[in-house]
Amino acid sequence: MIYWEILSYAAWIVSGLLLLWILVDAISVSREFDEELLISSREGVDEILDEIKKEGGIK
Amino acid sequence: MTAETSAAENPQRISMFKVLNPFHVWALGVGIVLVGEFMGWNFSVAKGGAYGALIACWVIGLLYSCVAMIDSEVTSTVAAAGGQYTQAKHIIGPLMAFNVGLFLVMAYTMLEAADALIVGDLMSAVAAATGYEGLSPQPFVVLTIAFLAWLNYRGVFMTLTVNFVITLFAFLAIIALFIGADPLNPGNILRHSDLLTELPYGWIGVVASLQFGMWYYLGIEGTCQAAEEVRSAGRSIPLGTIGGILTLLVAASLTWYVATGLMPWQYLGQAATPLYDAASIIGNPSLQVVLFIGTMFAAIASANGCINDAARAWFSMGRDRYMPTWFGAIHPHYRTPFRAIIFLIPIAVSFAFTGLLDQVITFSILSGLLGYTFMSINMMRFRKMWPLDVIKRGYIHPFHPIPALVLLGLCAAVYFATFLGYGASLLSIMAFYIVASAWFVMRRYQFVKRGDQFTMPWPRPRGY
Amino acid sequence: MSTYIPKIQHKRGQLIDSLFILVLVYVSLYIPLFLESDTKSAEETATVQSYTWESLGVSAVEQEQWQKLGYDEAAAAEIINDKFDYTIDPLMLAITALVIIGYFFFVIRISDRQYREVIEEKFGADETSSKQEATQ
Repeated sequence: MIYWEILSYAAWIVSGLLLLWILVDAISVSREFDEELLISSREGVDEILDEIKKEGGIK
Repeated sequence: MTAETSAAENPQRISMFKVLNPFHVWALGVGIVLVGEFMGWNFSVAKGGAYGALIACWVIGLLYSCVAMIDSEVTSTVAAAGGQYTQAKHIIGPLMAFNVGLFLVMAYTMLEAADALIVGDLMSAVAAATGYEGLSPQPFVVLTIAFLAWLNYRGVFMTLTVNFVITLFAFLAIIALFIGADPLNPGNILRHSDLLTELPYGWIGVVASLQFGMWYYLGIEGTCQAAEEVRSAGRSIPLGTIGGILTLLVAASLTWYVATGLMPWQYLGQAATPLYDAASIIGNPSLQVVLFIGTMFAAIASANGCINDAARAWFSMGRDRYMPTWFGAIHPHYRTPFRAIIFLIPIAVSFAFTGLLDQVITFSILSGLLGYTFMSINMMRFRKMWPLDVIKRGYIHPFHPIPALVLLGLCAAVYFATFLGYGASLLSIMAFYIVASAWFVMRRYQFVKRGDQFTMPWPRPRGY
Repeated sequence: MSTYIPKIQHKRGQLIDSLFILVLVYVSLYIPLFLESDTKSAEETATVQSYTWESLGVSAVEQEQWQKLGYDEAAAAEIINDKFDYTIDPLMLAITALVIIGYFFFVIRISDRQYREVIEEKFGADETSSKQEATQ
């Protein structure tokens, strides 16, 4: 059945487009923003900490 | 706009969005696992017979209840994207953390590859049923991974909302199958009294079946990975995780009950899609369609959750420079670990195309198991170094240290089961982690900033 | 208290390290294929004979279910006669156990050493200062 062959090609093409979109976006973001900003996230900067501090959890 | 280059003076930072609720946590945990009820668990039937599989289901259920309790307690105090990786860093030390990070990335990426293969194989099966033999599953495998990676890239909220919907459908499909099997009239459709046999290999078979009994629950611990994106993580994660394990215990019991009441154990032990086969035996076409879609959705949900978790573990390792720092980037618009997501796409695809499905799955299960062994040691140290009165926990699990010890014992049993079935693979996977550890100590650790490894506002641990 | 200043890694080094870990994964995936110790003994199924449901020990109900699944005697026999072999090689078992225990022992030992450095840098070298708050 030709239908399945078309579907296979469609799957390849859609996958290609999605991956291309991701790649283009990633590259443009890496160019547009400073690397320092992109990797600036820090672990533990979190509401749970405020909560613990507020409730005086640390003795 | 460009941020100032000096990070020390510049407090401007981007972090992930805090948008998730307990339902998303449930969807992440159950979504990854539920595919195991549609396929995979039944290999435990081949190893030890139908009753052996039931014992495995309960014993491993106990293992995972311990995992869920331990995880909930530690996570209610350690809320960071790395999940168990971050726990290891704070409680045991950098090398253990590096290993735990690798366990997570390997377990999830390999499971993702297996899930995508299932989707591809189901497409081939449909094609064959409609008269087109020999459809290559490859384009559909790639499409699954590409689409889900795209979804993950675009934001965690949409990703896990989609996961919630398809996971719920898959779970309801299992319930529908149970109802369709007419459980109130045993002997009508379900023929347990005629189909259940004695243990075919005796008790050694039961032990061997523990390995595939893992399939009923493998991956539920992934809920911790969402910690940095959940609103009030200290409450949401325990709630989502324990809700998830209860869902899975129900699903596992129903699955076992229906499947063993319909199929001879020898068939069940090698079936590729046991629940779909069960629906075929019942002979209700709409139930068949529901189970087919359920299987498909379960596989997609699992792959989706795996991308989410593997990327976050990889991202966290990059952020701490355990892995190259380049991976520690967050997308400024979507707030996702976008480079980690991209990096893992070709890897997942290549795992799916190796043709070594057995190997890949064993690697995945064993990595999970190594992680559980870590959790047990982790819990004992956690309570010793920070007793209950020192830091406030959002959730405290009961009967310590029994769950940790039970977990350790059960892990040993599952190692033995893996040895029985896949001894050579087990050794080669251990060799991987040993070489990787040596590499970390000799090469990677020089890039790691020591004091930055401890980020929680905890007091100094006892004994250090 | 001495603070460790980590090295900065350049792009090329980052790429090499990412590739290294990948190569390691693939090698460990392919090793068991070369060892081939996982192969099941297939001699038993080699003998071709005619089966009946009775000779396979299949009851009437089981037979009915097999047939609903679309299997005849011969196809079912192939599955039913494919059995696992659970003989244990004590030497291999001992080696495997040693490897796993040794691995955890090694990882925890080294981690502990590294962890002491982390704690020292974070909280200061003095054990008596343990009451001090974490300074962010």
